Amino acid sequence: MATSQMSRPRAPVAGRSRTTPKWLTGYTLAAPAILLMLVIFLYPLGQSFVMSFFRWDLNSAESPFLGLSNYTDLFTGTSFGQTLRNQVIFTVASLVIEVVGGMAIAVLLSSKLRGLRPARTLLLIPPMVAPAVVGLNFRWLFNEQYGLIDAVLVRLGLPAIPWLSDPGWALVSVIIASAWQNTPLLVLLFLAGLQAIPREPLEAAAVDGASAWRTFWSIVLPLMRPVVVIALMIRIIDLFRTFDVVWLMTQGGPGNASNLLTVEAYKLAFQSVDFGHAAAVSYVALVLSLLVLALLYGIPRLTARRSAAWQA
Amino acid sequence: MSSALSRRRFLGGSMALAAGAAVGPFLAACGGGSDGPVTEIDALLITGGDRYPAYWEKVTSAFTQQTGITVKYDLLQFTPLTSKEITLAAARSTQYDVYSTHTAQIGAFFPHFEPLNNYFDQADLADFFPVAIQYMTNPASGELAAIPRNMDARTQYYRRDLYEAAGVQPATTWEELVSVGQRLTSGGQFGLVLPGQGDPAQRQFADFLWQAGGEWLDQNNNVTFNSPAGVEALTFYRDLIQQYRVTPSDVVTYQWNENSAGFTNGTCAAVFDWPGAYASFGDPSLSTVSDKYATAPMPSHKTGTSCAISHGLAINKYSRKKDAAAQFLKFTVTPEALVDQYAEFKNYPSRRSTAEQVTSQAQGMEHQWLADLRTTIDNGKEWPKVPGFDKVSTVVQTAVQNALSDQMSPQAALDAAAAESTRILQQAGALR
Repeated sequence: MATSQMSRPRAPVAGRSRTTPKWLTGYTLAAPAILLMLVIFLYPLGQSFVMSFFRWDLNSAESPFLGLSNYTDLFTGTSFGQTLRNQVIFTVASLVIEVVGGMAIAVLLSSKLRGLRPARTLLLIPPMVAPAVVGLNFRWLFNEQYGLIDAVLVRLGLPAIPWLSDPGWALVSVIIASAWQNTPLLVLLFLAGLQAIPREPLEAAAVDGASAWRTFWSIVLPLMRPVVVIALMIRIIDLFRTFDVVWLMTQGGPGNASNLLTVEAYKLAFQSVDFGHAAAVSYVALVLSLLVLALLYGIPRLTARRSAAWQA
Repeated sequence: MSSALSRRRFLGGSMALAAGAAVGPFLAACGGGSDGPVTEIDALLITGGDRYPAYWEKVTSAFTQQTGITVKYDLLQFTPLTSKEITLAAARSTQYDVYSTHTAQIGAFFPHFEPLNNYFDQADLADFFPVAIQYMTNPASGELAAIPRNMDARTQYYRRDLYEAAGVQPATTWEELVSVGQRLTSGGQFGLVLPGQGDPAQRQFADFLWQAGGEWLDQNNNVTFNSPAGVEALTFYRDLIQQYRVTPSDVVTYQWNENSAGFTNGTCAAVFDWPGAYASFGDPSLSTVSDKYATAPMPSHKTGTSCAISHGLAINKYSRKKDAAAQFLKFTVTPEALVDQYAEFKNYPSRRSTAEQVTSQAQGMEHQWLADLRTTIDNGKEWPKVPGFDKVSTVVQTAVQNALSDQMSPQAALDAAAAESTRILQQAGALR
């Protein structure tokens, strides 16, 4: 028996040595895609990062290295502080409106009320509209001379609001337009999340006589946390990239009253023809959004770890 | 076996494709500078209304008939055109041989446009308005960067019917601008409309600055726009909106289109607008006041200065077909081409001889309008073309809006802008 086993032909060793390792095959097959990604994604990202340390305009053939000057110029200039404040207000206000409003609408739509089914379809429309179209539409809606919104306010006996020309209202107008377009996206996300919640805890709460608000606050919301976190992440990334709506409604004005980081970067690049400072603004925006995302991602994990350690 | 083979083939094919993509442009570049006759050039041209595509088609077809050179062209409106040219210049692109350009933005492009002095002789250039040639010339090198195609200067357009009914004449001074404006402002009707956002706001401030006797920079390029004259100019500009309220309250959001629309929709009784407006205001399909308007010279204060700028064409410095491109430029600024352009758009000719010709042939209101424009152009100015001034412009635009919307006083807004502008000009090496 043993002899017969010994006499069985063995797999040729030389053949194994000719076989390409799996990892190498994998990387080789992925190489064209990786190469393409490096060319179209990482190269421009790296190039713009390098650009942010140089004087880079059309006026001179040379681009001298400036160190951190482009960054320090931003913080010592007259307008960047206000732009940063606007970005924070715009991001926080938009998130609050969209998440609270989105959750409220999602809860309403997930109820058994009649006649709400068409609303789900209608909700798809705003996110499908191009932001540039939204910007133009709201520019006309908020127009002080011919706009629909002020016309309605006046008809109701209320004073007309200088939506786009008043420094206080300009940023509010932009937030409203952005929320109109993006809240429905969160409604759809939350709606999917609500439908995935198991029925048992809700039924148990009903048996225990918990109020609707108590059920929502203590059961629905904790179970929806992963969906809310994902929604927040998507929206934070988007809010730091918002450009079209602001540009078409106010161009960041009056003055800098509704200026955001992307608008500032565009003005620096295509009006001031100063690519070095424009790249620096873009990287400030990128770092800020990464910071917020890291906090959003890290805090719940840290809290969970501490809570586990405390329980142990 | 067949699977391994297909993988290899796939990888081989991918590498060949990648190599082809990498090497292709270099090969194309090496082979691009052909010595044979040029049969085609590419141009990035300006558009600004329904009639522009047909106009450029006519011009390029006539050029092809005359020279055998085809012009492939793309049309863009002013702002996207400038943005695209900035990107192309930064990339040292050879995609286009000819660019449309404008005095207002040319400062950034001087190093990227081919000097035209070798293509146009001095005697021919002498026929163009000196102010147009001056501001299309790089002050550092004395090289002409673009050839002016038509002059841009503003005129006062006013509602003849409303002015007659109110028994007032078009304003000739700042004081009259206020008093006439107030007479014509009531019940949703305004005496005047002005732009208040972006480059148009800077343009309006520039006119008031010069009229108040101010300047942007002194001879050493030190900032002077925050001088008492500058503060007087910006204060007057703000007061027209905020104190005298002779304009719609939201003009701080208006650019050129909204400015013109305020007049053509009948809301505002007067506007300062460009030569092209003469044709569009008179077109019943575009204007509700087509038979009710007249023109008058721009009002003055301490001086009667207003801007005199121009649209032009330039040759891409990185083009490999510069001679053919120069032929196209020359073709578009012949006296015949400028007369044709005037007939089509009422674009004021950039040649003095052609301007005199069209003025002498015009009659009545049109003749007076052309004569007034000539006066404005002869006395006209443009903001400086020194390195860094594009960035100064953006800073000033924000300052003007800050003052117009009452966020800052004119003095504070201009002082802050002046401090930042000084730093910008220092960094750009423009201060002497």
